[in-house]
Amino acid sequence: MYHFDWVVFWKYLWPGTALANTMIRNGLIVTIVVSIVAQAIGVALGLLSALGKMSKIAPIRWLSDAYIWYFRGTPLLVQMALLFFGLGVTHIYDFPDIQLGFIVISGAIQAGTLALGVNEGAYMAEIVRAGIESIDPGQLEAAKSLGMTYSTAMRRIILPQALKVIIPPLGNEFNNMMKTTSLMEVISASELFFAYTQINAQLFKPFELFIAASLYYLALTTIWAFIQSRIEASLGERKSTIKTPNVLERIFAKGSH
Amino acid sequence: MDKITPSTNTPVSFKCPSCGAVLDYPGSGDSMHCPFCNSNVIVPETLRHNDAGIQAAARDDCNTVVKFVNVNKYYGSLHVLQDINLQVCKNEVVVIIGPSGSGKSTLLRSINHLETINSGEIFVYGRMIGYREKNERLIEESENNIARQRAEIGMVFQRFNLFPHLTVLENIIEAPMQVRGIPRKLAVAEAESLLTRVGLLEKRNQYPRQLSGGQQQRVAIARALAMKPGLMLFDEPTSALDPEMIGEVLDVMKSLAKEMTMLVVSHEMGFARAAADRILFIDEGRIIEDTTPEELFDHPREERTKLFLSKILH
Repeated sequence: MYHFDWVVFWKYLWPGTALANTMIRNGLIVTIVVSIVAQAIGVALGLLSALGKMSKIAPIRWLSDAYIWYFRGTPLLVQMALLFFGLGVTHIYDFPDIQLGFIVISGAIQAGTLALGVNEGAYMAEIVRAGIESIDPGQLEAAKSLGMTYSTAMRRIILPQALKVIIPPLGNEFNNMMKTTSLMEVISASELFFAYTQINAQLFKPFELFIAASLYYLALTTIWAFIQSRIEASLGERKSTIKTPNVLERIFAKGSH
Repeated sequence: MDKITPSTNTPVSFKCPSCGAVLDYPGSGDSMHCPFCNSNVIVPETLRHNDAGIQAAARDDCNTVVKFVNVNKYYGSLHVLQDINLQVCKNEVVVIIGPSGSGKSTLLRSINHLETINSGEIFVYGRMIGYREKNERLIEESENNIARQRAEIGMVFQRFNLFPHLTVLENIIEAPMQVRGIPRKLAVAEAESLLTRVGLLEKRNQYPRQLSGGQQQRVAIARALAMKPGLMLFDEPTSALDPEMIGEVLDVMKSLAKEMTMLVVSHEMGFARAAADRILFIDEGRIIEDTTPEELFDHPREERTKLFLSKILH
């Protein structure tokens, strides 16, 4: 019978003691910051490639299609390893540490963030495209008939409306992103899961430590669920027809699948 | 029909020195009127030129606003516009009727290049719409130039197409500010006077979905007028309305009919009789009759005109 080590478990779960550990504290910060930056890269690339897919210029369409095809069709873990180890060994880019004031951003974090962001962009592209295509074509016609160019019409008329369709799945993508940052462990980026694996290497208590680690991720995604509800509720005020799920429905995924 | 060939198709624009609106130089003259701040503007000397073709177009007997020359359009094997020739003079109000699928909406929408055409030429104010000549062939105009041509042509749609994320006022000031670069204050003042004109000033801060269909269509008309177009296109403006709301929209259109060039696809015979100078009956992509409303209603020449009228007049 396995003896569960409650002392280790509580030490690495209770924020007062767990966050006193620099590896865990920094790991948590890295996980949050990388999630936000990678999601932002994903949204930007998703927007670009969604517009690219709808471009009149064929090579731009092909480029967007190829990007989405490759990054959705290959494993993120492989993409990350390819980017970090592959580019490193060719010396195309060595991912040197970057010093920003007091903070050093390691090469692994840069590569991991980039891989997460570029991978996410391919998924965001479909979400953005679906959002744009959900808007009545009459809106673009009305904008054009008023003398707006395609880019003005997109920026001022189509995208602001599409945003309401894009935001809910975007929130779900961010939930995923926070969990997926743990893949960066394989390239030794010092995020939250990596911190726990390092501690485990010293204590060898994988059951206790990884339960504690999982509960930190659960806390992050639960807090995000509350924030997401708030954001969607404020959007919902202007669009009363679609019911936004409340936070309990969201956490337990009721009625969504 | 003689062919108008402007020597330059690309409009030259400059900023109105008093209100900042982007104005398109009409092709001749040292000064022009700015419709946004109602001032007389001296055209910068560097831009002045004499565009013979456009002048010729403006000089003709009726100040031609819209001109179709042998226009054809196909949807696959369907010939939706067949050798259309049409001339609409300044301040004329032309109502277009015809059975569903006859090509009347396509004809209207081709005037601001929401529909492409396969052959022929369409001119608005003497400028070819949507295409330019290159090596004796017609190629599609650049997106920017098409946008500038459309800015001079107002359009009202069957389903209103108001921007649902913007208030009534924001719907109206959006294009003047984004396209013409007019300062917000001036755009708001103009929008308020247009809203007063269509009787909806008190709705300025509401969203389109809070308005009835008739009110939405009146806002859509105000939105189009805010760009100060010389020509207005109406594509079945009352077809999506409940019967009790049709009158309020037609009243606005009737008051406009006194002062501007209008092309209206509509089966509102009362409006046609009261406001139209001409009525076109279109069937199978051809203009079958082109006459006055009285003549068409009381003495239709063609058998299919009679048949069609008997169906819509009951």
